Amino acid sequence: MSTDAQLALEDVVVGYDQADVLTGVSMRAARGEITCLLGANGAGKTTLIRAVLGLTPARRGRLLFEGRDITRLPTHEIVRLGIACIPEGRRVFPRMTVEENLRAGAYVERNSAAIARRLTEVMDVFPQLRSRVRQLAGTMSGGEQAMLSIGRGLMGAPRLLIVDEPSLGLSPLYVKENFAVIRRINETGVSVLLVEQNVRQTLAIAHRGYVLAQGRIAAAGDAATLQQAPQVRDAYFGQAH
Amino acid sequence: MDPGLLGQYLLNGLVLGVIYAMVAVGFTLFFGVLDVIKFSHGDVVMAGAFVGLAAYAGLEHLGLHSPLLALALIVTAATAAMALFGAAAARYLVLPLRGAPPLNTLLATLMLGLALREAVRLFYPNGSNPKPFPRLLPVEAIDIGNFTLRYDSAIIVLGGLAAIFALHIFITRSRLGLAIRAVAQDAETARVMGIDFRAVVLATFALGSALAALAGVANGLYYSEVNFSMGLLLGVIGFSCAVVGGLGSVLGAILGGFLFAALQTAGAVWFAVPAYKDVFAFAAVILVMAWKPTGLISETPAERV
Repeated sequence: MSTDAQLALEDVVVGYDQADVLTGVSMRAARGEITCLLGANGAGKTTLIRAVLGLTPARRGRLLFEGRDITRLPTHEIVRLGIACIPEGRRVFPRMTVEENLRAGAYVERNSAAIARRLTEVMDVFPQLRSRVRQLAGTMSGGEQAMLSIGRGLMGAPRLLIVDEPSLGLSPLYVKENFAVIRRINETGVSVLLVEQNVRQTLAIAHRGYVLAQGRIAAAGDAATLQQAPQVRDAYFGQAH
Repeated sequence: MDPGLLGQYLLNGLVLGVIYAMVAVGFTLFFGVLDVIKFSHGDVVMAGAFVGLAAYAGLEHLGLHSPLLALALIVTAATAAMALFGAAAARYLVLPLRGAPPLNTLLATLMLGLALREAVRLFYPNGSNPKPFPRLLPVEAIDIGNFTLRYDSAIIVLGGLAAIFALHIFITRSRLGLAIRAVAQDAETARVMGIDFRAVVLATFALGSALAALAGVANGLYYSEVNFSMGLLLGVIGFSCAVVGGLGSVLGAILGGFLFAALQTAGAVWFAVPAYKDVFAFAAVILVMAWKPTGLISETPAERV
């Protein structure tokens, strides 16, 4: 793969205490594309994201963002380089208003005019949020919190957006809407790393992807290839042999 | 009751309430960002007052006798020194213990408070005896019937309220305040937003400790006396106020401060023996805690799926 890499992992090993969860993962997220990371529960998807964000630093290997080594950087400095994350379970700040949550998403931006412009942009994407700017995020429904969480991720104007399990715990209608939104975000030029269990809908919007199984990359390729790959099925339903 | 006398009690209660609230806010802020109880906080109140006293002695030594200048210097020196001390305690004691059981942090800060207390007793000149605190506020008063409005009490109440209000505005309106609240509600997500967790923790400890120093100075100005052990009771009271109000809630801590002062004042009115007022107030605190275990303003998030 010679595509221009927004994010590259080179033989990354990550673990907690004595156990390594990722045992040497190499992958790339190409600039301007949606790269997906598929895998069953416990395959190490969330650990991989934590390593990219510096929340659980890699034990070995290198992580590069736009060619720059971020392996040993603290989380807030990695985010400052232009990465945003929509975390699993949405993780909105429950006792902050919708607007405060969005402003927290733009924390690294100090220019108030830029923040105001992005607020308007996010409200244009999610008009439902506009009428609720003063509502406490903790009092909203799961679907509304999902919108807020995506909007908060956009407030940082990232060049790489990491989306962790956007379909988890949402009704099918919201899932469909979320995937459509992620595709629209990508069309504005933001590279996306999409981590999901929902294979069919994910491969429908992704350009290429990786399948993670037992802490290793089990398969890689463009979306059409992965749709046919037996490793994808194996990764979820266990190996047939 | 005579309305003048009632007003007198009310004013005394307000002075105490504002001092307690300033101490309680620190407990609630520290618990908010790090989930720790910092038991040296009461002794930071005391140390703040002594730093102010030392600054005043220095000024006297230079032969400057302006009360306004002295007050400005005392407040600046006390808050700045304790802000530094608070940040250092967070950096070198509380943060390194983050991975350890919470009991270790509690014990370590308890020891820090003891060390601070004994250091003042041993190293401050004649530190084991009560020290007179300079009367820098106007001593005049207006008599309205039976009610004597002492200017110094009024200034302490207004000054303290202004400080608490400023802190509230800072927490709810400023960029750093947003970061403090984000860390308090979800530290990991806050980091993913690009917030520097360690810097926010240090700033929070500096802020809470500066407010404690202000409480110490206010206490000194009100009673015209400070002593090395004054932080013991003030610490326990501040902690109780924070718990009653709801640990983690700034508004709750303020509410708790005024509630405790009201209970103490009521206790002083109802019982002939003044010492009973603390027994009464703390007993009432136990009842409030039995009624509302998470405090008057509960910070437990309302989770919805």
